[in-house]
Amino acid sequence: MKTSDDAPIDVSKRCAHGAGQPSRVRPPGHVVLRFRRATFLLHSRSAVVTAALAATLAAASLAYLCVGETFVHPAEALKVVFGRPSPDELVVGTLREPRMTVGLLVGAAFGTAGALIQTVARNPLASPDIIGISQGAAAVTVGAMTFGVTSYTLLPYLSVAGGILAALLVYVFAWRGGLHATRFVLIGIGFAIALRSVTTLFMTKGDYLVAQQAQIWMTGSLNGRGWPEADPLALTLLVLLPFVAWAARAQRTAAMDDDTATALGVRLGRVRFGLILLGVVLASVATGAAGPVDFVALLAPQIARRLTRTAQIPLLSSALLGALIVVLADLLARKLFAPTELPVGVLTAAVGAPYLIWLIIRSRTVRNGGTA
Amino acid sequence: MTAPAPATTAAARLTASELTLAYEDRTVVHELDLAIPDGEVTVIVGPNACGKSTTLRALGRLLKPKGGSVLLDGEALAKLPTRRVAQQIGLLPQTPVAPEAITVGDLVARGRQPHQRWWQQWSDADETAVTEAMARTDVAELAERSVDELSGGQRQRVWIAMALAQETELLLLDEPTTYLDISHQVEVLDLVRQLNHDRGRTVVVVLHDLNQAARYADHLVAMKAGRLVARGTPAEVVTEELVREVFGLDCVVIPDPVTGSPLVVPGTPWQPSAPGKSAPPAGPSAPADSSAPTGPSAPADASAPADKKPPLDERPTS
Repeated sequence: MKTSDDAPIDVSKRCAHGAGQPSRVRPPGHVVLRFRRATFLLHSRSAVVTAALAATLAAASLAYLCVGETFVHPAEALKVVFGRPSPDELVVGTLREPRMTVGLLVGAAFGTAGALIQTVARNPLASPDIIGISQGAAAVTVGAMTFGVTSYTLLPYLSVAGGILAALLVYVFAWRGGLHATRFVLIGIGFAIALRSVTTLFMTKGDYLVAQQAQIWMTGSLNGRGWPEADPLALTLLVLLPFVAWAARAQRTAAMDDDTATALGVRLGRVRFGLILLGVVLASVATGAAGPVDFVALLAPQIARRLTRTAQIPLLSSALLGALIVVLADLLARKLFAPTELPVGVLTAAVGAPYLIWLIIRSRTVRNGGTA
Repeated sequence: MTAPAPATTAAARLTASELTLAYEDRTVVHELDLAIPDGEVTVIVGPNACGKSTTLRALGRLLKPKGGSVLLDGEALAKLPTRRVAQQIGLLPQTPVAPEAITVGDLVARGRQPHQRWWQQWSDADETAVTEAMARTDVAELAERSVDELSGGQRQRVWIAMALAQETELLLLDEPTTYLDISHQVEVLDLVRQLNHDRGRTVVVVLHDLNQAARYADHLVAMKAGRLVARGTPAEVVTEELVREVFGLDCVVIPDPVTGSPLVVPGTPWQPSAPGKSAPPAGPSAPADSSAPTGPSAPADASAPADKKPPLDERPTS
């Protein structure tokens, strides 16, 4: 019996494959949108998730406006939002709406900041409240409070400066001919601990009233926040929006290793710096408005990613989820122990964490994968 | 920068001249001159830590030269915009990291990065290149799978597909067969050869295995201690003397029974000294029937350890 004594590895199969007319390949799960010569890749599941999140957020916001010490009918609440005369103008328009707006903006800013920083650090634990940004903002703010600065117009700016300064220090110390992700996170954690003790020092030095005020600020609270905080915040976010659009694209390669990204023609050093800077500014601005609202920046991106199942952390969904977490948490903070209003920071973790844990448990049963 | 391309003897778009490479202050490569012949498969070999991967990284501008330069079409690589380089040179690092949970199709598509703009995220050219790259590497059926759940061989093919989708004329591969079993190693190297043949791509590969290098290279470059020791066709380079000089290994070189390229057969493995014998056989001894074609007479001190480093100041003749 004669057997073919060809090469043990059959190369011909592959040749035939390459020569034939294979079916067209697109990145799985994406659709291509065309406008004249421009083309955009859209991840279908992300689009659906984003729409669903936007709808949920709208519903939660409406609930926020209706629920409180006095219940307002949704139709009346909507009237106020759209500037029509309503008997509930005072409760909805003056008390709840400005506070909610700050909550939405702060949540969106934290969610986006967390997504950006986690992308660069390639670490789901890296978020502004872990790597020292929030602590920097707190140290400077509380320090200013103990030295007698009480102006609520000045404090937010100091807090922004503190956050950016802390991030800059972490960046400089983590730099060694390039930014090493793990190094960045570890040095950030180190700075966070050091800055927290600085804050504690200021609080023990300052008098009792200042300490209490500082404590509340540090938990993150929307209490008494309104248009004076919302306006500059909204303006800043608007200015940053084009950069966020850039970041969403730049993120695609930031999650790769340095060599691969460079081989693809991406100046990863610059991209990383840009992404971190944007994340830091967003987190600092949000901290300035409401204090370091814990866990939003940590949770929102991770939940968003699990929902969209994208390879990189989705920015828009993270922003929407951040806003959703803050609005829901503040709704609970106002309602749960009414008439005592808890600081929102106490409840953000309670709102987001169980959901994230549930997502992780569920995903493990579906796919026991992941790289180490 | 405005100087015209220096006259090179053979057509070589990518050259290194007096290239010195260092990590921090440890110099790894010393004043290396190298031309990568166009349209050929160049394989760089050498013992561990000889600077072969470092050289490849510099050729792909992942490492800035400490001295000298890498030239692409006569222009210093370090001065070219990295995106423009990425349209000419594709590079697959030794251990690339994929974004977590990315699908195969998505990863391969990212090879198109240097050809895309934010308003041109998916052109017809992108689709053609990705489709072709995936067909060529036989990963089209894996498109929807997550990269983390692939086997080592599949994953390596996916990475090569990504580098192919980049559609560069030059392709640099850093030890693409490490971590692969032998059939996958052969598969990857066959693919490299095929690409070089069908598309006239210039390929530079760093390989550990001297025999594989001899089988697949058109142009073989041997390095030792950060210097170029020999280059030429495998038949010119792979000799018993050179293997001894570069790797400090005594061996027999015979023609590969399948390809006729030089095949390195190392000397007799270590054996416990039998009670009857006074010393283990030193150096390469011919296989049982002692009919090996060119068994060198074992030198007296051939039992010297294989990792004994030859003197550093030994300069290549070029």
